[in-house]
Formats: sequence, C-alpha cells, structure tokens
Amino acid sequence: MEIKDFQAWVGNLPADKLKPKKVRKSIDLSLWERLYIFEVLRGLAITSRHFFGNLVGFVVPPNGKKRKIPTIYYPEEKAVMPPAYRGRPVLVANPDGTERCVACGLCEKICPAFAISIIGDERANGDRYPSSYTLDLSRCIYCGYCEEVCPKEAIVMSDEYEGLCASRRRDMLYTKEQLLRPAAQLQKRIDYVRRIYAKCNY
Amino acid sequence: MIADLTETIIKILFIFSINVGFYSPILGWVERKQSALMQDRVGANRANILNFKIIGLFHPIADAVKVLTKEDFIPEGADKFFHTLAPFISLTPAIVTFAVIPFGGNYELWGHSVKLVIADLDVGMLFIFAFASLSTYGVVLGGWSSNNNWSLLGGLRASAQMLSYEVAMGLTLIGVFMVYGSLRLTDIGMIQENFFRWGIFMQPLGFILFLTCAIAENKRAPFDQPEAESELVAGYFTEYSSMKFVMFWMGEFLEIVTISGIVTTLFFGAWHLPFVTDQMLLSWFSPAGPNGAAILAMIVNVLVFFLKVSFFIWLLMTIRWTLPRFRYDQVMRLGWKMMLPLALLNIFITGIVLLVWK
Repeated sequence: MEIKDFQAWVGNLPADKLKPKKVRKSIDLSLWERLYIFEVLRGLAITSRHFFGNLVGFVVPPNGKKRKIPTIYYPEEKAVMPPAYRGRPVLVANPDGTERCVACGLCEKICPAFAISIIGDERANGDRYPSSYTLDLSRCIYCGYCEEVCPKEAIVMSDEYEGLCASRRRDMLYTKEQLLRPAAQLQKRIDYVRRIYAKCNY
Repeated sequence: MIADLTETIIKILFIFSINVGFYSPILGWVERKQSALMQDRVGANRANILNFKIIGLFHPIADAVKVLTKEDFIPEGADKFFHTLAPFISLTPAIVTFAVIPFGGNYELWGHSVKLVIADLDVGMLFIFAFASLSTYGVVLGGWSSNNNWSLLGGLRASAQMLSYEVAMGLTLIGVFMVYGSLRLTDIGMIQENFFRWGIFMQPLGFILFLTCAIAENKRAPFDQPEAESELVAGYFTEYSSMKFVMFWMGEFLEIVTISGIVTTLFFGAWHLPFVTDQMLLSWFSPAGPNGAAILAMIVNVLVFFLKVSFFIWLLMTIRWTLPRFRYDQVMRLGWKMMLPLALLNIFITGIVLLVWK
C-alpha cells in the first residue's frame, strides 16, 4: 500500500478506532493472585512435589523401572536417533562389499558446500563405479541434498553423530572405504527416504 | 579465666568449622543438586575419586581445586585496593553475625556454667542488623571499583535494594521484641521452651515479612536484581575471578545459613524440640551422670538447632529456584509500599493485642 492510500484509508476510519488501546496489564489477575503469597505457596508446592518425587531413587536409581528423569548419561548411554535424523552421510554397500554408487556425479553437482569430489571409472563389464569418492566433512552442512538427488540410493544420511570433528583438517577428509556401510545397517533410513521423497513427484 | 577462654575458643572453632567448613562448601552442591531434582534433571555427578562418585559429593573438592588454581584477574583501570577489599567486606559480616545466635541452652559442666552461644550480647539482634548493613559496602565497593558498567549498575541496585529492605526488616522484628521483651537472642530462645510461645504462633505475619526481607537482603532470586544474569552479566561481581569470586559466593551462602539461624531462633523455637524442655532432656539423660547428661543434652540441642537451620536452608533454596526475578520497580514498590506498611501494621496489632492481653 502506498503512503497516500494509507492516509486515505486512515482518514476513512471512525475516530474512536484511532485511539491508542489502553493496556490493562492486570486484567487476568484476580485479587487472590495479586496477593501473591498464596500463588507463591502453590508454586513452592509444585516444585517441592517434583523435588520429593525425584528424591525417591536419588542415591540408587530403581532398577528396571522407567526412569522419571529423562537425562541420558552420554558416554555410557547413547541416544537412539529417529530415522529422520541427518548424521554423517555414508555410502551404501552391496552384499558383496562393492558400492552401489555409479559415479553419476549428481551429488557432487548438488552439494551446496562442495564437499563431495568423485573420480569415476569403468569396470571390465562396463559398470561405472567411483574409483575415488572423497567427502570433506569439514565442508559438509548435513543438508541431505546428496541423498535426495541420488538415483541409486547409494548415499544416505546415517544416524552417526560421533566423531564428526577432528583436530586436523586432513582427518576430516573421508575416503570411500571409510564411508562404506552395509545396507542392512541403513535399512531404516533407506525406507524413510523412500517414503518421504515418494511424496514429491519429480 | 582460662576455662572461659577455652570455652569461647572451642565454641568459635565449632561454629567456624560448621559454617565455613561444612555449610559453605556443601551448599554449592546442595544448590546444584536440589535445583536439578526440582527441574527433573540429574545434576552434578561426574567428579570422582578412584571411580567413586558419592552422588556428586566430590564436586565441592573439585571446585575448590579449580578455584584456587585459577588466575586472579584485576581489570585494567580498576581500583586495585578496593577491588581486593570488597570481597573481604562482603564475607566477614556473614561469618561474624553467627556469633550472637545461640545453638543450645545453659548447662553446668564440672561446676562451670556453659552457654552455647559465642557472644551473649544483650543487643544481639542490633548487632546482627549492624553487620548485615556492613555487607552492603562490600557489594557497592565491588561494583564501583571494577571499572565496569554492569558492575556499577549491580552495585547501585544492591545498595538501593538493601537500604530499602533494611528498614522493613528492622520494623518487622520490633513485633518480636515487643512479644518477648528482649533483644538478647538467648532470652528469646529460652522463652520458646514453651511450644505455644514459639514465634511463628506469636508473630505469623512478622515471620512472612521477615523471611521476605531477609531474602531481599541476601540478594538471591526472586530479589537477585544486583546480579541479574540476563541483564547485568553477573552484576557487581562481573569482574571477579578465582578466590575473590568464591568469597562473594561464600558470603552469600553463609548469609543463607545466618538467615536460617535467625529465623530458627526467633520464630521456630531455637534449639528446643516441641514440648521438650532442657530440664526434661537432663532428666532423661541422668543415668549418664550430671556431666554426661549435660553433654548429651547439649548434643541434642545442637542437632535440633542445625536440623532446623538445614530445613530453612532447604526452604530458601526452594524459593530461590521457584520464583522468577522481580522487575526493579516491583522490588522497590514491594519494599516501600507493601513491606513497610505491613510491618507497621504488625507493630500496631501486636501492641493492641499485648495491651488487651495484659
């Protein structure tokens, strides 16, 4: 809307609508609530209930029972990631240990961070395969475009969230051999990807 | 003379070891662990010695080692003398005030009368007020000498808040003094041997007002304006590190202990169990001989007193982790427009009741 139009629109409004609205801050508080002391006691009751509830099994957590506190003791316990989680991108291996990738170069093309570099080659029977597949994890932004674009379901985002960083940059360059995972391990994610991207009709 | 001196030194060492040696390190752990339990978390539990981690009880030790080995940093442009002095001024009153709080009754030990209080001053409560207001200087000096905007704002807020609430705090306790007719804390404790003469029954309004003012004096949430993290980084101790930082914290924790001690002494029967007098304790323990009975009764007194103190520490911690911080104008309005008139009303009602009762 142009300023001129706006002024015309304002001019047409009835005068009482132009008055600034009075802010009534205490409109929702009853007298009981404004006395504050009783509400304080109610709050203290709530926090004390949590305190005493959690105090049971404070020293020795009850064995086998579902724990009330949802904290995960990280190095000892690991979080189970849902299939939608995008961890380190990995290559899916065939049952015979070779990679599914056919070195088409689509992931290399789509990668917004230029993290993937592929050198393709041909086998004796004419199948294409990547002779070198390098993933620079220091560049990867975990967007999942490579997985979305891959026609062979050869690269998927795994649920690995450990060891994503290193002290030296050359340690962040992952080779094909380091990235290969058996397909059974990634089946959940592959099913998920099929379900999700089947919705989009490319 | 020698006996008196020995007695006093033993009492000072006892209170010092309980306060500085036990409560101030353990309260850091209590604060973390209690807040964790209240918020459905686990809390600090990783510090260990040889893989033993007794529900995180080694954390105070780890903290002490960390704090002692950290760099003691004085910012450029800070007033070095006052910057160093401030934490001492803040910590000392917190330790000293416990001198007049009684933690037991009077007993005869080998023909020598023993009073379980370090200094039995007849102006005990005034002494506490005097030293409580001294700790304001530590905060203000710390805020001013750091040469930092946030520190200065924190110091200003602290001075305004503590001055405002000191007035109300003094007035709330006048009702207590009218009822008991004494400023001497041992006298007040003695009178509360009778369960129906406990301060909470005589002065229920005074108790609530005093607790509120005491928390405000202590500068903890919901009255932690001087150190409001979300506004002033850390307030008046923004520029403090290492041991000086911890001295502010120790002062705060010891103030909690002192407040709990005062509340216990004035409102919750001091060292007495309900319906149990010191004479009854002595007669129960009489098989142990007169001296043994006195010692056992003393131990019971001290245990009861510090159990009550620990309960009030728990209550103060619960309040601190339950209530949100007040806005600054709300703090001032509460202090001058609610606390002060209510304290005066309390005095008025107490006076009328006392007149009618007589």
